Amino acid sequence: MKEMKLFLGPQHPGMHGNASVHMFVEGDIIKRSYLLPGMLHRGFEKQMERKLWVNNIALIPRVCVPEPDINEMAFALATENLLKLEIPERAHWIRMIILELARISTHLMAYGGLGGPTGNYTLMYHAHVDRNLILDIFEKITGARVYHQYIVIGGVRQDLPEGIEQDIKEFIDDLESRLSEYRDLGIDNASIVKRIYHTILLPEEVVWELGVTGIGMRSATNKPYDLRKVTPYARYDQVEFEVPISNYSDARARLDIKIKEIQQSIIIIRQCLDKMPEGEVRVKPGRGQSMRWTVPKGYVYSPIESSRGEFGYYMVSNGGTTPWRVGVRGASYPQGLLGIEKYLPGTRIDDAALWVDTMGICSPEIDR
Amino acid sequence: MNSISNLEYVDKIILSITKDIKKESIGEYQVGYEVNQADVHQLLSSLKLEGWKQLSYLSAIDWPEENKFEVVYVLFNWDKPIYVQIRAKINRDNPSMNSIISIFPGAKYYERETHEFFGIAFPGNPEYKKQLILEQWDDIPPLRKDFDPSAYSAKKFPSREYPDDFSVKDKDNQVLEKNAKRKKRVKKLRTGGKK
Amino acid sequence: MLSTKYTVREKLSKKEIDRKWWEVGDYFRRNSLWLLMYCTGCCAIELPPSMTSAYDMERLGMGPMATPRQADILLVSGYLSLKTLRRLIYTYEQMSEPRYVIALGSCPINGGIYHDSHAVINQLEQYIPVDTYVAGCMPNPESVLNGFVDLMEGIKNKKANGWKKYHKNNDWYKENQLHALGEVVIHDEFHQ
Repeated sequence: MKEMKLFLGPQHPGMHGNASVHMFVEGDIIKRSYLLPGMLHRGFEKQMERKLWVNNIALIPRVCVPEPDINEMAFALATENLLKLEIPERAHWIRMIILELARISTHLMAYGGLGGPTGNYTLMYHAHVDRNLILDIFEKITGARVYHQYIVIGGVRQDLPEGIEQDIKEFIDDLESRLSEYRDLGIDNASIVKRIYHTILLPEEVVWELGVTGIGMRSATNKPYDLRKVTPYARYDQVEFEVPISNYSDARARLDIKIKEIQQSIIIIRQCLDKMPEGEVRVKPGRGQSMRWTVPKGYVYSPIESSRGEFGYYMVSNGGTTPWRVGVRGASYPQGLLGIEKYLPGTRIDDAALWVDTMGICSPEIDR
Repeated sequence: MNSISNLEYVDKIILSITKDIKKESIGEYQVGYEVNQADVHQLLSSLKLEGWKQLSYLSAIDWPEENKFEVVYVLFNWDKPIYVQIRAKINRDNPSMNSIISIFPGAKYYERETHEFFGIAFPGNPEYKKQLILEQWDDIPPLRKDFDPSAYSAKKFPSREYPDDFSVKDKDNQVLEKNAKRKKRVKKLRTGGKK
Repeated sequence: MLSTKYTVREKLSKKEIDRKWWEVGDYFRRNSLWLLMYCTGCCAIELPPSMTSAYDMERLGMGPMATPRQADILLVSGYLSLKTLRRLIYTYEQMSEPRYVIALGSCPINGGIYHDSHAVINQLEQYIPVDTYVAGCMPNPESVLNGFVDLMEGIKNKKANGWKKYHKNNDWYKENQLHALGEVVIHDEFHQ
């Protein structure tokens, strides 16, 4: 059969974000494929070298668009590590609430994104309505729907507004009661079962070869490899939660873990709201005017667990008022670039979009 | 529990290969080593054998004053949770570092990206010269310190020009006059009245 | 009282007939606009909320369309890197006329937060004509919908005629494109 060239993206309803999968196909089967990244390149690493430490807080949420809060957290953790700064106790707990809400919203978006490649648009509508409620909560807390700039160096920007605890509790109770609905609409839906059961398998050897982290890794290795448990940051060592795992990684297992992680995030948020102490939420990281703050010399890599895997900032300071070098480790780098090149060949054309969705490939963080 | 801590375990592995290191501990779960360029491959492969199976990050840092590039490898072990940074300085003129894709296949795209943004050659990686993120780039690699993105942007992309009184609504332009006066005063204060 | 006497009306010239047909066409067109889903930048993250039940774009008679040839609106959602601009010009030239362009966010207006970046263009209207701008970083769904209403007004008042400008000043646009991009045509392994 003749070999044909086929694009998936950048302008395609089944593609998440502005990236392109180039495929060489024979019939239905992909023979060779690679990702063409770079369409969202903005030169972040160069931009951050040119901005002051405080100014960078406004810039970094834009690195990963669906889940901006992890950027703020990784940047704040790295800078606090260089400064050897202790932040107030309450700030840790507020940060955890924000991060877990962001995780739920990203999981909902990725789970609803299953609607694109499989044609199951009802699921997408349901997921986006719930995500919109989370954005409303964010708007109440931070003043912005998407880019919050809330987690800053030395704590969080301001305290939680009055009565927000009640709003969050109402929302998570409501969402928890409807999680079984999401299962029925998505992974247990008879109309798409054949598309997600036993397709695009991810064996354990491939995980180690590619360096895949996050849900892909936990679904294949059957071990609780979650940075919140392994190297706890903030106060994740003081809350109780489980890490959902499985030993057979097909598309269904990965989506199933997403739903289970939403459940665990709800449990974490509940504990945070109960255990959160009163007090200050922010300390000043430096003396004097914020334009003259400097950070001591050093090299630091600050990884955190995003919804897609290990996400980290590599930061170098030479003691100046701006960072000397900032590197971003995108969580979807291995599965996005090497995964598509090495692992996608041999599967069917329609599986490519499912790989992009279930492995949570986020093109802005690959391109930066 | 092990009798020795994980950090000491890493130390033992590194010291069994080379003594010529500069160590710095960064937090509870992280340690950094500055090593010679020649030792990098041996260190990485022995760390991989000991369980540091995941390559978390690979990139470079530019130090124009020393005329050096610094290549960084960050490894992670999920069972003994320690991040190990291995850094090696290489020459800035004709920079070259042997590829590590025989040890970590996942490094392939990191090396391509580092070549694109710093111009470091990675012999051993078959595709390192192919462009990955930029397209038809016509200047020096953009993450080097001597590249100025502002000048490049001004040269290539014309920026929008606004008239002076664009944001001022009043007729007599009092605000503009006030601003000019204030600027003059600030200048005077800053220079202490001297020219 | 109006006279019932039959009078022969003046024959309309071809130009006038054309104008009347365009008015009829514009009336229907502005009430059923198809939107090309090309997520060029980060403002695309606010499109799903404005499409789905919460804000419901469909009550304005708008819907997403997958192919450029059947779409009316090219929605530029956010900053444009050089690599995207090449694809965007391809896409714009594929669309059938009349075609309208809406630019979301601050970045297509003056570069926004990336005004000094080496990869992001500063003004979109240098390369393709823009009919409506929606400012903000990022604009929330209400202002996105407001932008759509503005475009409908523009079509009604015959102000949204960017596609005519593209014909008229084609040389100027092409020259700007070449200055920023070097070459608009893509050469890589896949396009050979």
